[in-house]
Order: sequence, then structure tokens, then C-alpha cells
Amino acid sequence: MSATAAAPRRKAIMHAWGPDVLQALYRVAAVVLLAIVLAFLSKAFLSWGNILNVLRQASLLFLIASGLTLVILTAGLDLSVGANLGLSAGVAAAVMQATGSPVLGSLTALGCGALIGFGNGSMVAGLRIPPFIATYGMLWVCSGLTYYFMGGGAIYGFPAGFRTLGTGYLFGVPVPIYAMVGFLVIGTIITRRTTFGQDIFTIGANAVAARLSGIPVRRRLIAVYTISGAMAGLAAIVYLARVNSAEAGIGEPLLLPAIAAVLIGGTSLFGGIGSLFGTVVGALLLTLVLNGMNLLSIDANWQPFATGAIVLIALLIDTVTRRHSERRA
Amino acid sequence: MHRNSRLALAIVVALFFAFALPAAHADGEKVAVFSKNLVNPFWEAFRVGANVAGKQLKLNIVHYTPTKPDDIGEQMSEVENAIVSKPAAMVFVPVDMKALGPAVAKVNAANIPIVNAVDKSATGNFVTFVGSDDRTLAHATGVALLKAMGGKGNVVIIEGTKGSETSQMRVAGFRDALKEFPNVKLLASQPGNYVRLQALNVMENLIQTYPQIDGVLAANDAMALGALEALSGAHRKALAVGINATPEAIDAIKRGTMLASGDFNGFKMGCLATMAAVRALQHQPVPKEIGIPAVVVDKTNYQPWDVPVAQRSCPKWSDFVH
Repeated sequence: MSATAAAPRRKAIMHAWGPDVLQALYRVAAVVLLAIVLAFLSKAFLSWGNILNVLRQASLLFLIASGLTLVILTAGLDLSVGANLGLSAGVAAAVMQATGSPVLGSLTALGCGALIGFGNGSMVAGLRIPPFIATYGMLWVCSGLTYYFMGGGAIYGFPAGFRTLGTGYLFGVPVPIYAMVGFLVIGTIITRRTTFGQDIFTIGANAVAARLSGIPVRRRLIAVYTISGAMAGLAAIVYLARVNSAEAGIGEPLLLPAIAAVLIGGTSLFGGIGSLFGTVVGALLLTLVLNGMNLLSIDANWQPFATGAIVLIALLIDTVTRRHSERRA
Repeated sequence: MHRNSRLALAIVVALFFAFALPAAHADGEKVAVFSKNLVNPFWEAFRVGANVAGKQLKLNIVHYTPTKPDDIGEQMSEVENAIVSKPAAMVFVPVDMKALGPAVAKVNAANIPIVNAVDKSATGNFVTFVGSDDRTLAHATGVALLKAMGGKGNVVIIEGTKGSETSQMRVAGFRDALKEFPNVKLLASQPGNYVRLQALNVMENLIQTYPQIDGVLAANDAMALGALEALSGAHRKALAVGINATPEAIDAIKRGTMLASGDFNGFKMGCLATMAAVRALQHQPVPKEIGIPAVVVDKTNYQPWDVPVAQRSCPKWSDFVH
């Protein structure tokens, strides 16, 4: 009796919420589970300071990964986001040092990032170069330009006003967190409520059908890659404000965590499925892992293993629950 | 036909001399210099040192650096390519102390004199080794910090890249120093991977765990500076030391935010390694090892390091070899 009564009710919930939302909840549960484990193991974990730290560290990762999420939603890929950040940061740092103006520096970073993104978009949409290859080539171009430009040196020491973008607090909450929340909200509205957003999902699900149904695919793709580049430029601003220096090679280590954050968040590499909220969850998971390892003083030699293990467990939970809910529904 | 073949012969002979004669000059001898990456300012100083020595000795210095930092495969390819270009001598810093053995063996087989610099290669026949000892340097730097702390308090170690030998040796040096100061407590030793942002994040996490941190032992300057950023963001203070004495670190030492940096003096190593290579070519005696003594740069002695690398001049050979 309870089984037959429960099944339609469960189906109704699934119908109302959609399997996507349930998957998202499972993913959040994985992060919450990790947080609970860490809270048990370390006294310092639940302190307000540590929570703010984790959120702030995750914000930078989210900002880089947010534009990337849109690109991956179109079944594309942007391998240049890390190198983009590096080049944009270097150029912006030079501008700020030369002019002393944080506004000019920030605009330079955004402009540089967007320009690189536009280049990617033009190659993918205009020249029909596969995204992997186009953005991989762009990665090398940006890296090379950064090395040439920075020449093994560093540009450091930015104006205090600018630094609040990375290190400052607003009502007791670090500024980058506002950026993360802000772009999460804006991004979610765009992807869920605008034609532009719906087009992105459609292109990712079936590019040919999208074109045939009148969606300006080329324009959308160029826009999406430009946004990805611009977000990398924005992340460069936050990076500079946090770390107070720019040097060659700062961007490269950020690429794989950004991709991981997007994929852990449930966005499919094949396009058409995913969300920015998922990317936040992915970024939080990755940040929590590092935080936990530092708090628990896990030996350096075990850290790569620990990171990999936790990421795989999170993905396992995701896959098992997805299959489970698909069978049920 | 007769005239054409003579013309052709004349052109060939002319081309031969055009290419061969410059190579036959003693001046402009090609020396291939291998460094580890384009990212760390230390290697930039090393390359500039080689360039300055090269200019002094009228050499043609050609640099080989992996585009992907510290990439073993790339460096092996670079060595093979360099051998084909037939340099007169090589100055070699292996990205990995063991993995580049086969590449060095090829250089030995090609009879090109090769000088080992900075990181000691485990195998291979070298003219000499020019360098310092990571462990001794880290030990001296650590002692400077622990002395400044008055021999008591809490410290954390920010390690370099997991598994890298320089990181392991530097951390070993720090721990050697800690053994001499039993009243100082080591709270944690966590990896920053020689990357500034990661060291910043790691330090932030450590600050949350430990309410009192008095000293930071960082395996390089970039990480020391990242840790200092984290401290200032949390409105906490601690003494910090790094390694490499980069221009940014010297600036921080001048301003008093950073205590000291252990110097590996890449510039001097580049100079002396290039000089050693030339001496080998001229069949002059070269000792098996040339050690650059470890120097801890702090507020009292930073002035020579404050000169931009490109403007420095190479030390004299006799300063280091007696």
C-alpha cells in the first residue's frame, strides 16, 4: 500500500522539480557530506574565518569556470582560460603600474580577456576549427605572449583601492564572494530565462537542429567564447587584487581545476546539460579538499591522491544517483 | 657546359667558405645553455649571467628552455636538437636530476664538453659542477629566521612542488635548522607547489587552524610573498623567509615585510658555468666542483642584490677557484 501510494507521489515530485534539480541536490549533498566530515575532524573548520576563506578561494575558481561553463554547454571547450587569465593579468598589471589607475587596469584586463575570447569564438564559429584545437592554440599564443611580456620578472604592488576587490570586506563578507554570488545569479537568469540562454542549451544538445530552427548559431558561439574570455579577464582582476603581483605562468595551474569544477558540477562535456549552480558546487568541492588537507596537515605526498580520490567519489555519487533516479522515473 | 660547371663549383666553394669560415673563428663559439623554465626569475638571472659572461668572452650563447616549465620530455628533445647543431660546449641544468641521464650520455658520446650547473645530475660525465647545495642554503636561511624569533615560538613550512628534489632538500634544510632550536615548534608543513596563489591559500587555511604563527619557512620567494599576503589579509604578523633573492623579495626585505631570502645567485652560477665551459675548451684546469657559498640576504647586506641583473658584472674566476 505504501509503495503504490509513494510511487506516484515521488513521480509527481520528480515531474515538478525535474531530475536535474534532484541531481543537483545529490551533488550538494556530496559537498555537505565532505564538510561534515571535515567539521568532525578539525575544530578550525567551522570557524567563521575558515568558512569565509573557503568561499573566497572558491570564488576565484568559480569566476574562471563560469564562462567556461557556458562554453561547455554548447558542447565546446575553452582550454585557454588559464593562459588568458595570465596574459590579461600581466597586461593589466603593466597598465596599472604605468598609469596608477585601477580603473584602466581593470578595463584592460576585461578587454584583453574578451579579445582573446572573441578570437577563440571567431576560430570556432567562423573558421570552423574544432574548439579543442582552436583554444589549445590560443593557450600557447597567450602563454608565449605572457612569457615574452613578463620575461621571468614580476609586476607587483597595486593601489590599495584596487586591492579591496580581492582582499576587502563588505559588511564582513569578502568582496570576491559577492562577485561569485552576483555572477551566479546573473548567469542563471541569462541561461534559464533568456532566449540567449535557451539557445546555448539547444546548440549544445543538437547544433544542426539549432541552426535549422533559426538560431543564429555562429553569433551565439562567438558571444559565448567572448564571455568565457571576459570572465577570465575578470578573474584576472580578482587574482591581481588578491595576490598583489603578476608573473608569467600564473594562469596555467588554474585550467584543470576550472574544467574539473564545471564537470563535477554536472555539466556534460557533450553539451546541453548543466548549470552555473553546479559549477559553484564543483568549485566548492575542490576548494574544500585543499582546505581539509591543510587543516588536517595531510602529508604533501598524499595530497594528490586525496584530491583524486575525493573527486572520483563525488563523481561516483553523481553517476549512481543519476542512474538510480533515471530508473525510478 | 664547361663554363656552367665551373660557375657552379665557384658558387659551391663560395658558399662553403661563407658558412665554414665564421665557424672556424675562435670568437663567436657557440655555447648551448639549458635552463629549467621561463617562469622563475631565478632562471632569468642565470641566463643573463651566461649572456654577460658570453659577451665578455665573445661567445655565441644559445638558450634552450622548456616552454612547459620543468618538462622532462621537452628538455630531452632540446638536448638532442642542440647536439645536432654542434655547439662547442654546453652548460646544462637538468630539470630532473635523474631522468636526464640518457640525454647527458648522448652529449658525452658526441664529445661535447658539458658543464653541470645548479642541480646536480645523478649520472653523466661533466667538466665540473657549479652550484650551491639546496640543503645547506635552506639550513642557513632557516637559522636566520629562528634566530630572529629568539629561538622560540611557532613556525610553519611551506614546501615546494611535491616530489621535487629541490623542495625535498630545502625542507630537509629547514628541518635541520629546526633541530638546533628545540624551543621552536613546527606546527605544519604543507605544499605550496612553488606557486604564489597556492601558498596564499594554504597560508590562509593554516592561519585558521593555528591562532599563533610566529615564523614562515617558505621554499621559495614567490611562496613567501604569497604567505605574507595571506598574513596581512588576516591582520596577523609573522617573520618570513624565502629562497632565491628575487627583485620582489629584495624589495620586501628593504621595506621590512620579509625578513630574509637565501640566495642561490643564479646570475653568478650562469657566469661561472659559462666561464668553466670556455676554460674546458681552452684545455685549462677546472676543478670538479665549484661551490657558490650560501648567502642569506637580509636588511644588512641586500645592496648588491638590488642591482638589476642585466647591469651586474660577472665575478672573477679567481674569486671562486683558488
